[in-house]
Amino acid sequence: MSQAYEGPIQDLIDELGRLPGIGPKSAQRLAFHLLKVPAADAMRLADAISEVKRRVSFCSRCFNVSEHEICALCSDSRREDGVICVVEEPRDVVALERTGEFRGRYHVLQGALNPLEGVGPDRLKVKELLARLDPESITEVIICTNPNIEGEATAMYLGRLLKPLGVAVSRLASGLPVGGDLEYADELTLGRAIEQRRSLD
Amino acid sequence: MEAEVLLRRLWMEDFRNHASTELTFPRGLTVVTGANGEGKTNILEAIGYLAALKSFRGAAVDVMVREGRSSAVLRAELESGERRRLIEAQLVVGGRSRVQVDRQPLKRARDLLGVLRVVVFSPDDLVLIKGGPGERRRFLDDVLVSLRPRNVALRADLERILRQRNTLLRQAGARPDPMTLGTLDVWDEKLAEVGAALVAARRELTERLLPHVRAHYGVLARTDAHIELVYESLWEEQGLAAALRAAREEDLRRRVTTVGPHRDELVVTLGGLPARSHGSQGEQRSLVLALRLATRELITEEVGSTPVVLLDDVLSELDGERARRLMGCLTAAQTILTSATGTLPPGTEPAAFYEVVNGTVSTPRPRGE
Repeated sequence: MSQAYEGPIQDLIDELGRLPGIGPKSAQRLAFHLLKVPAADAMRLADAISEVKRRVSFCSRCFNVSEHEICALCSDSRREDGVICVVEEPRDVVALERTGEFRGRYHVLQGALNPLEGVGPDRLKVKELLARLDPESITEVIICTNPNIEGEATAMYLGRLLKPLGVAVSRLASGLPVGGDLEYADELTLGRAIEQRRSLD
Repeated sequence: MEAEVLLRRLWMEDFRNHASTELTFPRGLTVVTGANGEGKTNILEAIGYLAALKSFRGAAVDVMVREGRSSAVLRAELESGERRRLIEAQLVVGGRSRVQVDRQPLKRARDLLGVLRVVVFSPDDLVLIKGGPGERRRFLDDVLVSLRPRNVALRADLERILRQRNTLLRQAGARPDPMTLGTLDVWDEKLAEVGAALVAARRELTERLLPHVRAHYGVLARTDAHIELVYESLWEEQGLAAALRAAREEDLRRRVTTVGPHRDELVVTLGGLPARSHGSQGEQRSLVLALRLATRELITEEVGSTPVVLLDDVLSELDGERARRLMGCLTAAQTILTSATGTLPPGTEPAAFYEVVNGTVSTPRPRGE
């Protein structure tokens, strides 16, 4: 499958195949799709990619995507200081912002602990998180990594680093989707929700 | 508690050597006969796949999809009380299986687990006694999933954590830096947590199986030889977290996790001696049957519905008396049996009879309901 074509078309297939979630077959399909579409459409994609690489990078404080040195969320003076929400990816910031429930600051780790993919703490923005605690007088860290094995391990790792430093550490609760029916909840989520039930006050 | 679940109808498209097969199943015994290699076992494998989302023969999806096709479809109509349900799985070569219940796609394939339950008796089952500890752990874990589908996540989590931890051990080298040790601590804690939960479940299952195994062994072998099932973990006394700490150096040196649930053993003893090394062939065979029958009993007890029993060419391995006793244990509910010869123990009356030739099913002697 790898060297089926020659020249630019194979280069394109190889490049597309390097993207996450794209296998050799999809890479081939996408490449031939791009070959067929009008040149203007294909160039728009090429431009979008080069623009995003030219103009957008990561905020030097929280490592969210940003068009400036410091992102809009970090420079927004109306937001609460002292509380940081730690997430894996920039898209998690977007998800949390949509809730409107959190008014503090963010920190994007840019991944989760995953030895299988060669990701250890040094590949994550962990040092950078610790470096923010004092200058920003952080008193509370909310760990919002994904509720899977790697996300849980990352949360545990951060918890062990942060607790001795005297900041309050909490973990995002996992539970039932709001507005859904109990009977349609999957067993795992429902089981977790029962384990982590809280008393009515 | 649910009502009894019966498998009423099965469709197979492009599955193994079956291009398009449709079968109906009555309550009671269905016999599928045919020469070796014609496709009898494939029918049982298809039913087993709909129940467990994997092949009881350990086959990969691309092996189960018919030569030259990109996907296979399995569909079954189930009946429980007044209710009929249509379950469907599409096996895609090189892709994820897609699953539907009553034409509604399920978000995750594993949500199909528990809709249909089966217990498989296979000619390879002797490895349950004669094989390595891994065979017996897999047996326990399969039963745990069958009893409570949620356990599939526990099992997957454990495997994932072990893979992560072993990878980290390989990366760590002989003298790892403090940061690597710090992350190892985290994987240890996850392993201890998930491992303890899985092992508690395995232990409980072992205890609950034991009386059923004893009872069935007595019926099959007509002896009162004393049977014990003992779940053994070397880390039992100190607990997994402490055991992992103690084994840290060894693990780093050997670059693999040397203690944990993946090294446990279920010891089966007969008259005080390990059946694996000391049992006769006949005793081992009876023990395997007793384990399977006990599983069926336990699922019936816990779920309230007797699982469908799939007997894959098992009778030919047994002497006439034991074959008769086994069939005597399986009178209620549904049993589907394959046999090359089609000879049944005296007194066994099939409710349906099929013959398979080269992936095509016919009914030479219809006796249907």
